[in-house]
Amino acid sequence: MTDEPVTLTIDGKEITVPAQTLIIRAAEQLGIEIPRFCDHPFLEPAGACRQCYVEIEGQPKLATSCTVRVAPGMVVRTQETSELAREAQVANLEFLLLNHPLDCPVCDRGGECPLQDQALAFGPGESRYREAKRVYEKPIPLSPLVNLDRERCVLCARCTRFCDEISGDRFIELFERGAGERVSIAAGEDFRSPFSGNTIQICPVGALTSETYRFVARPFDLTSADGVCPHCSAGCNLRVDVRRGQVVRHLARDNAEVNDAWTCDKGRFAFRYPDDPARITTPLLRDRGLEPASFGEVLGWVADRCVGSRVAFLTGGRLLDEDYYALSKLARTVVGTNDLDHRRHEGGAVEVWAASRPMSVAYADVERAPAVLVVGLDAEQEVPILHLRLRKAARKGARITVVHPRRTRLHDVAAHVLCRPGEEASLLREAVRGAGPLASVVEELGAAGGAGVVLAGERCSSAGAEAALALARTAGARFGYVVRRANDRGALRAGVHPRLLPGGRAVDDPAGRAALAPLWGDALPSTPGRGRRAILEAAAAGELDVLFLIGIDPLTDLPDGALARRALENVPVKVVQSLELGDLEPFADAFLPAAAPVEKAGHVTTWEGRRQRVEPVRGPVGLSRPDWEILAGLAAAMGGDLGFETLDQLDAELERVLEAGLGTPDAGAVEPFVGPDPRGGEEAPTAADPGSLLLFTYPLLVDEGRLSARADELKAALQDPAFVEVHPDDAARLGLAEGAAALVTTEAGRAEVPVRLNEHLAPGTAFVPFNNPGLVAGTLLAGSFWIPAGLEPATVSRAREASA
Amino acid sequence: MTEAFPGGAIEEARAIIARYPAGRERSALMPLLYLAQSIEGYVSREALRAIAALLQITTAEVEAVASFYTMYRLHPTGTHVIGVCTNLACKLRGAVAVLEAAREATGVGSSGHGVSPDGAFTVHEEECLGVCDHAPAVQINVANHDEVTPERMRELVERLRAGEVPTPARGPAFASFREACRALAGLEPAPPTPGGGA
Repeated sequence: MTDEPVTLTIDGKEITVPAQTLIIRAAEQLGIEIPRFCDHPFLEPAGACRQCYVEIEGQPKLATSCTVRVAPGMVVRTQETSELAREAQVANLEFLLLNHPLDCPVCDRGGECPLQDQALAFGPGESRYREAKRVYEKPIPLSPLVNLDRERCVLCARCTRFCDEISGDRFIELFERGAGERVSIAAGEDFRSPFSGNTIQICPVGALTSETYRFVARPFDLTSADGVCPHCSAGCNLRVDVRRGQVVRHLARDNAEVNDAWTCDKGRFAFRYPDDPARITTPLLRDRGLEPASFGEVLGWVADRCVGSRVAFLTGGRLLDEDYYALSKLARTVVGTNDLDHRRHEGGAVEVWAASRPMSVAYADVERAPAVLVVGLDAEQEVPILHLRLRKAARKGARITVVHPRRTRLHDVAAHVLCRPGEEASLLREAVRGAGPLASVVEELGAAGGAGVVLAGERCSSAGAEAALALARTAGARFGYVVRRANDRGALRAGVHPRLLPGGRAVDDPAGRAALAPLWGDALPSTPGRGRRAILEAAAAGELDVLFLIGIDPLTDLPDGALARRALENVPVKVVQSLELGDLEPFADAFLPAAAPVEKAGHVTTWEGRRQRVEPVRGPVGLSRPDWEILAGLAAAMGGDLGFETLDQLDAELERVLEAGLGTPDAGAVEPFVGPDPRGGEEAPTAADPGSLLLFTYPLLVDEGRLSARADELKAALQDPAFVEVHPDDAARLGLAEGAAALVTTEAGRAEVPVRLNEHLAPGTAFVPFNNPGLVAGTLLAGSFWIPAGLEPATVSRAREASA
Repeated sequence: MTEAFPGGAIEEARAIIARYPAGRERSALMPLLYLAQSIEGYVSREALRAIAALLQITTAEVEAVASFYTMYRLHPTGTHVIGVCTNLACKLRGAVAVLEAAREATGVGSSGHGVSPDGAFTVHEEECLGVCDHAPAVQINVANHDEVTPERMRELVERLRAGEVPTPARGPAFASFREACRALAGLEPAPPTPGGGA
C-alpha cells in the first residue's frame, strides 16, 4: 500500500486525493452530493444503509461509495451521470421508507431530517407499498434522556457504532435479524452513558429523540448562535437554540480540532440555567432590604465601600477571558490589590507555565500520541471530550497510563496505577529516576520522540503537577495542564491570581510590571496577594472590608465550607456578582446581575490554551450585563478608568497583552515557588490512626452545580445521591457494608452517607463526590480536596450516642 | 464481585473462556451461550447477564448475538426442539404441511414460543438449513433430516416420544436439545443425573 495521492474521475471530473480516501469523501470535494444515512465522517465505514450506490467502471455491480476507497484511474459515476446508480438510489429509498411511518408532522426531526430531505431530493415521491406497515411499541425510553422509535429507524447503525467506536459505552445494540432487526437495549438496563445524547444528534431519522426537546420546537422557530460549552474546559463547540427567548437545545457543532462532532450529555442537556426562575436580573441593595436598585446606585454604593478599603475578589471558573482581564486590571490598577483568585486547586510553578503559554498540547497531539500519561484526572467525569480523544488515541494504538486514586472509565483502554491522592509527585519523581511502576512509561514516552504526551489534572497538587512537568521534560514529551472549569485557563492567562499578572508575569517581578506599564500604569501593587484560602481566612479574622464574589458560591464551590461561612459572617461588606444569590442570600449586601454565558460575546480558553470566540444567542435578560461591563462601571464609579468602553477595545488590549509579546517567561526559567496557601504543595498526610482513611473528592460530571439547575432529565439519567466509596479490604476492617450508612468524620465536619465498595480504589482512601445530592463535600474539607477521615458504621455511632 | 453461571456451571464456563488467548475472552461468547442453553434449555436473562459479567462486556452485546442466531432460544423449550425450514425451496416442496403436522403431532400451538403441554417438544419455523436440494428440511435437536413429508414428521415425533433417537441424514444425533447444545459448547456429555432429564 502506498501513500501516494490517487487520481480518479468522478462524473467526468478528475480529482487527486490522498490514498485511502473513500469515494464519498472524494465526491464531496468535487461538490457532488451522494445521498447517505449510515456514513458519518467521524465513524468507521459500515455500508449499512445501501443508499450511496455508485457505478464504478469495470465492476459488475454497483458499489457503496461510503465503503470503497479510491484507486488510481478509477472511473466513478454517481447518480448525476449514471442512470443505474440513480435507479438504485431511488429503489433503496423506497425500500427504507417501506415501514417508515411518514409521521414527519409530529416527529421532532421534521424539518431537519436527513431522511426527509434526501427522500425529497433523491426519492421516488410515491411508494408502491400498499400493505400494512410494521408496528412497534413507541417511544421506548432508553434512558431518561433518550427515546427510541423503532418504526422510524432505518438500521444505519450510527448510534450503535458511536457507542462501540467512540464512547465505548455499548449499552445499545442491533438485536434480532432480517425484518425483525432493531436497535435495542438489554431489558432492565439504562443507556447510562454520559455521551448518550450524541446518538440523538447523529441519528439520520427521528428514531432517537431527546426527552428535553420532545415536541418543543420546529427548526424554523429557532434562533441559533455559535456558542462554546460553559460547563468544562473541553471547549466543545455548541449550537445554542432559542425559541421565543428561551434556550431549548444545545447541539454539538463539528470542530475536528476540538470536539469532533460530539459533546457530553451535560453540555447537551444542562441548558436551562439561564432561564431558571431563581435567576436575578436586577441589581439589589441590602440597606433597603435586598430590594431592587439601579445599577448606578449599587455601583456607587459598592465603590464608596471599596475606595481606600481592604478588598478581595474571588471568582468562579466560567467567566469569559474579557471578564477576567477586566477584573485583573480593576483589582491592580483601581483597587490596588493582588488579593484576587479564581482557583480551587494550587498548581504551583505549573500555573506560571500555563499562564504564559497559549497552547502546548492540543487535542490533535493527544490523538497522535503513541504514549500518554494521565495524572490526577478522571477525564470522563471532568473533561469528557478529552476522554473521547484519549479513547480515539487508544484506538490508534496509543499506550495510555492513568495515575489516579480511583479507576476511571478509561479502564478498558488504559493501564491504571492507583495511588493515594498527593502521592503522585513521589511516584513521578521515582519514575524519572528509572524506578517504580511508572518507569516503563517514561521509556515509552521517550521512545515516542517528542510525540508523547503527559497530562496533569489540576487535582494532583502543585508538587504533583511540577513533578509531571519535570517528567515530561526528562522524557521529551509534551505537557498539558488540565484545569477543569470552562475558563480556568483564561483566568490564569488573565492573571486572576494573587501572584501572577496577565501572561504569567510575577507581580513581584519589576520586569513584568514594567512590561504592563504602557497599558496598566506604573503603580501596580508589587507584593504577592492572598490566595483563595488566605482570603477566606483574612475575611474570617476580620482583616478584610469587602469580599467581592463573582460567579462563585464559596459555601458549596470550594473545599473550605466551614471557613467560607465564617468568612461571610465576619466581613462587613459582601458583594455578589452572579446569575443568582442562592445560598448567599442571607449574606449579600449588594447584588450585581451578570449576563449568562449564552448572552455574552467574547472568548473562552480551553484546557489546551486555545482561545475560542463565543457569540451571544440573545441579549442579557432584564438589567443583567456582561461581567466586564459591570467591572468597568465599578472602576468608573471609583474614579478610575479601565481604558476600554467596548468589547472590541477590550479585545484589542487583551490580544496585545496576551499575544503581542509583552514577554513570556522562558520555559526553562520556571522555578517552583512555594505557594502562600497552606497544603497547596504538601504531600498527602499518611493516616496515623489505623481507623482513618484519606478522604478525597472531586466533582462528578453531573452534580448539583448551579449551571445544572433544572436539568432534571440529565440528573435522572446520570446522577446518584451522595455516597462514600471504600475499598472492600478497608470496609471489612472498618465493619462497613455495601449500601449501609457510614459516618464520615473529619476535622472540619461530619456526614452520614451510604457506602459503596470499589475494589478499584487505592486502599487506605475513601472517595465522596464533591456535590451530589445529600452531601456538600466542602463541609468536610479544610482547604484541600483531601483530608484524613474516620469512617464507621452509622449504626455504631448512633448506638454510642444513645448510650452516652 | 461474585461470578455465577446458571446451574452452577461456573467452572465449565471458565474452562471455555480459557480456550481463548488472553485479551480475546470475548470469543467464548457463542460456546458460553450453548453452555447456558445446555443447562436451562434456553438462554435466560440471568444467563445473558452472567455471560456479560464473565466476559466483561455489556448485556446488550451478549443479547445482540443471542438474538441474531436462531440456534439460540431466548424462551424456554421442550426436551426436543424441532425446527422446520419454511424458506422458499422448502415451502415450495410442502414445508407448511410438515410444520402443521409437527405442531399437531406434538400438541404445540402455532403462536408464541410454545412448548407442548407435556413439556416434550418445541416446534418453530427455521431459516434456511442449507439443504435446499433435499427440501423440505427439518432439524431435530440440531440434527438435519432431509425430504421430510407430513407422514414422516408424525413418525419422527412418535419415535422421539418413545425415547428413540432417530438417525439424521448426516452427522451425529442427540437424545435431547440440551445434550446437543452441550456438544456444541465443545463439552463431553454430562454424566447422567439420577432421575433427571426426560
